[in-house]
Amino acid sequence: MGEYGAFVITDSDLPTWVGSLLSRAQVIAPRSLAGSDVSYDIVQAPTDVQWDYQTSIAPLKRFLFPPSDQILRWNQRNGGPLQLEPVYDETDRVFLAVRPCDVAGVLVLDRAFARDPEDIYYARRRQHSALVALACTQPGPNCFCVCADAGPFLDRGYDLQLTALTGAYLVEVGTEKGASLLRGCESLFEPAPEAALADRQRLALETESRFAEDKAYFAAALRKITFNRVPDDLWRAMGELCLGCGGCAFVCPTCHCFTTADCGQQSEGCRLRLWDSCLYQAYALEASGHNPRAERGQRVKARFLHKLSYQFAQKLGAHGCVGCGRCVTTCLGSNDMPAVTARIRRGAL
Amino acid sequence: MENPFLPDLANIAAIRDETADTKTFTLRFLDPARWEAFRYRPGQFAEVSVFGAGEAPFCLASPRQGADTFDITVRAVGALTDALHALAVGDTVGVRGPLGNGFPFDEVKGKDILFVAGGIGLPPLRPLIWEMLAERASFPTITVLYGARAPGDLVYRDDLERWRARDDMKFLVTVDAADGDWKGNVGVVGSLFSQIQVAPAQTVAFVCGPPIMIRFVTQDLLKLGLAEDSIITTLERHMRCGVGKCNHCLIGDKYVCTDGPVFTYRQVKSMMEPA
Repeated sequence: MGEYGAFVITDSDLPTWVGSLLSRAQVIAPRSLAGSDVSYDIVQAPTDVQWDYQTSIAPLKRFLFPPSDQILRWNQRNGGPLQLEPVYDETDRVFLAVRPCDVAGVLVLDRAFARDPEDIYYARRRQHSALVALACTQPGPNCFCVCADAGPFLDRGYDLQLTALTGAYLVEVGTEKGASLLRGCESLFEPAPEAALADRQRLALETESRFAEDKAYFAAALRKITFNRVPDDLWRAMGELCLGCGGCAFVCPTCHCFTTADCGQQSEGCRLRLWDSCLYQAYALEASGHNPRAERGQRVKARFLHKLSYQFAQKLGAHGCVGCGRCVTTCLGSNDMPAVTARIRRGAL
Repeated sequence: MENPFLPDLANIAAIRDETADTKTFTLRFLDPARWEAFRYRPGQFAEVSVFGAGEAPFCLASPRQGADTFDITVRAVGALTDALHALAVGDTVGVRGPLGNGFPFDEVKGKDILFVAGGIGLPPLRPLIWEMLAERASFPTITVLYGARAPGDLVYRDDLERWRARDDMKFLVTVDAADGDWKGNVGVVGSLFSQIQVAPAQTVAFVCGPPIMIRFVTQDLLKLGLAEDSIITTLERHMRCGVGKCNHCLIGDKYVCTDGPVFTYRQVKSMMEPA
């Protein structure tokens, strides 16, 4: 519980602290959109932060690994030499009041992009960001983080973790970076009394009991995918359900496939890195015209092999699912994680 | 921290027409120090940029030793390769590499070496053939079988003549369909196996070509009695980033760009998706 200590801050002092964060960094926090939707976005004022929410419609990924990211730019004028330079984003960012599942998603991305050779574009953004989690006490109907070791409370991976108590927030400090976010505002934070820590434990247990009955049964799927024992017919049947829209990949906190594309000409232009999805028909298409994953079922298999196999868990330090439930909300063809794991366990649609 | 996505700049030193749609580009780094660091082995590849058109992987198609340039051989099949074909000597491109694992060399010393190449599959094998010929005494026999669709599709005609003229190697060529002037063998590359002697227990085969050709030749070699570990191929995939990040080239859990592109048939057989 908070390697660097635990504190409490009252509800009434919270805006003062958020104001201090806003003065030193870009702050990204849950904001209310039209209707009842909430999504992580840049906030301008402490009152923009929506503290009381279930889940953000999109994860944090787009701030650390943007959907379209300029990575190189160049120019070559009047027959002179070509000038080429990388483009880095070193904006200081605080991700405030993000759900534990989304922090866990960032930890998977950390591993994916840090594997040798390190991805400098991701690493620069990550070095300049701090993760302030808001422990979850209101799991939604599609949530299953309890099955994915990703919530509803975190025991690692956060710089700060906040828990809403009555009239105050418990603030667990997980890292030196987290401690630095309290500097200059020390008077707002009191050392956490025993009662606050006891409340946190009680809330964590109560929350775990509030998840829907229909969770994700990973174990059988993990074993069968790892040993390549899922029948091709079942992949084919799930391929029939897939519209190939890529929506599941784009709302997933851990998906990180990308492609690149150039804009402009040799005289002046830039290279973009763009989100991609292994469910797209042309994803594996080769210049020769040969497509090793021409069938939809083969593409669905590739997606789940990457998410749920020991081979990839070894590379990524975790499975590629944090139980956020967004694929359940998004997929029009019902190829979401709980449904797919259930089918693989059963061996049939 | 190094940036694995930042290309080094190179100029086109020479361009040679190979076939109606294929050219070999000889590239030289603008910074000579970069060549020092660009220590590649046969079977490795580079990502080559035409700025404004994009980037694509090409095998390093010339032996490194004694050179300060390297070749890529490119068939015009799409936007990037068309843009590359439109460039001229002196134009600047970007290069990231060397990437991938490369062919075994020291590990196969003392073995009979059999190369089987189909069409545009010869370029990855070309530097290995030359490097083995440069250390000729280390390999009891060296045999090259090369097949193309038609005589006009044969690449590296100078090399082919030099190999044909050597008496310390065996070189056989075939085409699927002959034209008027062709006096050589007609048939798929596998039809050449009847013209050579293979001692399966001491032979290592390097096979490269289109997927269908690799499949048939592998079956031929297994029938001849070669071990699954002794059949070595280089796989083609859409290697977008070349450094194991973008995931485009995955076959199961294997990244063709970093775990390969060179694999033995035993490895290919155990992959979680069809190779």
